[in-house]
Amino acid sequence: MKLFIDNVFRQLVSRAIRADYLENVTGFAWLILQPLILLAVYAFVFTTIFKARIPDAGSGGFVPYLAVAFWPWTAFSEAVLRSSNTVSANAALIGKVAFPSEMLPLSTVTATFLMNMLGYLAVLLALQLFMGAQIHWLGLIASIPVLVLLYLFASGLGLFVSALQVFIRDVSQILPPLMTFWFFTTPILYSSSILPEQFATLMKFNPMSWFVERLRDFLLLGNYELGYRDLLVPMVTVIIFVAALRFFRRFSAHFEDFL
Amino acid sequence: MTPLVRIKGVSKFYPRVHHPRERLRAFASLMIGKRSLEGAEVLSDIDLEITRGQSFGIIGENGAGKSTLLKILTGVITPSRGSVEVNARIAALLELGAGFQPEFSGIDNVRMKAALLGISPRQLDQQLDQILAFADIGDYVHEPVKHYSSGMVVRLGFAVVAASDPELLITDEVLAVGDESFQKKCIRWIESFLERGNTLLMVSHSMYIVQKLCRQALWLHEGRARELGDVFPVTQSYLAYHEERSAAEGLQRRSLRGDSGLYRVSEFSLPGDPGEGDRSLAYGQDLEAELVLESPDGQAPVALFGVMRADGTPVYGVASDFDGIEPQRLDDKHFKFRIRFNRLPLLPGSYSIRGHAMDPLGIRLCDTAELRFTVSGESREMGILRLPHTWNSDG
Repeated sequence: MKLFIDNVFRQLVSRAIRADYLENVTGFAWLILQPLILLAVYAFVFTTIFKARIPDAGSGGFVPYLAVAFWPWTAFSEAVLRSSNTVSANAALIGKVAFPSEMLPLSTVTATFLMNMLGYLAVLLALQLFMGAQIHWLGLIASIPVLVLLYLFASGLGLFVSALQVFIRDVSQILPPLMTFWFFTTPILYSSSILPEQFATLMKFNPMSWFVERLRDFLLLGNYELGYRDLLVPMVTVIIFVAALRFFRRFSAHFEDFL
Repeated sequence: MTPLVRIKGVSKFYPRVHHPRERLRAFASLMIGKRSLEGAEVLSDIDLEITRGQSFGIIGENGAGKSTLLKILTGVITPSRGSVEVNARIAALLELGAGFQPEFSGIDNVRMKAALLGISPRQLDQQLDQILAFADIGDYVHEPVKHYSSGMVVRLGFAVVAASDPELLITDEVLAVGDESFQKKCIRWIESFLERGNTLLMVSHSMYIVQKLCRQALWLHEGRARELGDVFPVTQSYLAYHEERSAAEGLQRRSLRGDSGLYRVSEFSLPGDPGEGDRSLAYGQDLEAELVLESPDGQAPVALFGVMRADGTPVYGVASDFDGIEPQRLDDKHFKFRIRFNRLPLLPGSYSIRGHAMDPLGIRLCDTAELRFTVSGESREMGILRLPHTWNSDG
């Protein structure tokens, strides 16, 4: 049984990677290019037009500060958005073959993360070589658990929205603006230290702020100090994942009725 | 021996989810664990037990719930009520291509399907040539499946299923898609599969294939089991049901033409008939019929006997004046005819026999009576009647 799941999962992941990234010519280039272009736009707007001041940007200034948070966000948001319609898009498979359907969103999240993490590594290398940023390579090891937790968080949300989307079709319409909202309420383009007191407190309830801030701490600042949120957010992430998996399994028996 | 498959009281209810509001309501009732009220029950209270080595055919009209039952057995859908227990390595081929994704090449889909059937990548590498040879679609395997004809999809799907070495094979109406030679190949494979002691469960509209491959049959009618048992009686009553339906459609036309005239049928019977229900005789037995005609003017009328299948297809007809037969005169006005069909060559099925009254010249049809009878027995011969034949094996 375990072997069976491994095989099917591997097939689904490799299929998702090929379908989304490799099989169109621009796919793989696009994977690097799209966030690069967005990054360039944001960098131009915020350094040249608004002349944003980031108090604790570390070496290299705004661009590395933005890039270190931007790639993991892209991986996260793409994973959630892509996985949201995996169940309804595979209605033909679900109606004809018996297999654990949670593998559909999970394989999409996995494929998205694998590809984006390759991009992330390339970007970190580029920042070090061309942008004069000091990447703390010890921090790279420290950020592995953070990225794994981010993957778990994205998987949890992916499971939840993909199951919900079967019953409520509007989910795929609501989700993109919701993710944009989330992007701007997460300290990716700015630092939470420049926020007024009450917003900074509110920000602590956004798990994504922990992810991007810890990655910046580790990779750019070499700050490995731990606080209570380093315990809390991972716990919440695991709880969300387990709850989402249970939600998915509870309702997957009824998918076929609604597809 | 524990059965391979045991399902008890299985029902399947589909909530109505066409409208977004209906979807929401159905979802809400799921959330609180209640059944939604609106919807359709496509299967009700099905019990079925299949033991190793059996071969089961599921027959029935479109929409009778056959595919739903197969999907429940393969675990693709969950029954609304009842229990399903399966103790076997199942391979299922439901509908076209069973989960092939059109954007991917044939070979990619084979890998996926193999993974879903539990074939390890190493096993697959060993068997790939064999699978491709069985499917026999040439270089198309490297093309996306969306460019395939439906027959090619089935070829590839069946080839992978055949390679997965299942204990229980479940197929929907798939063989109908392939061409003649591929169908034969599949049937040969299934026969050898059964000879190895494996189990088959199939849905088919072809009674020929069901009788050829299956020993038992289940007739589903409007979501319920109407008949369950040996394949021959079940398929025969299923065919008879269809013949009656098409006969009922033809009835109105016939009554428009009407029978009129002086000479009437006063009695028509099949001697040996117990009186209750249809006369039943064994395949190859004699059939006797007795017809008493009433003739108001005292002239001897002509009798015409016609045998037809239950759907009205004529089989044979003969009139007394063809053979120069004089009836037995009972009184002034009544004449009796008796006919015997020796060793009736009709194949098992439902038939009817008609006795007609004709005028003394044998020109005008005046009256008709009809009796039904069934021929019972097991035979794999096809058609309506048995033609005498000999096989010359030594040329």
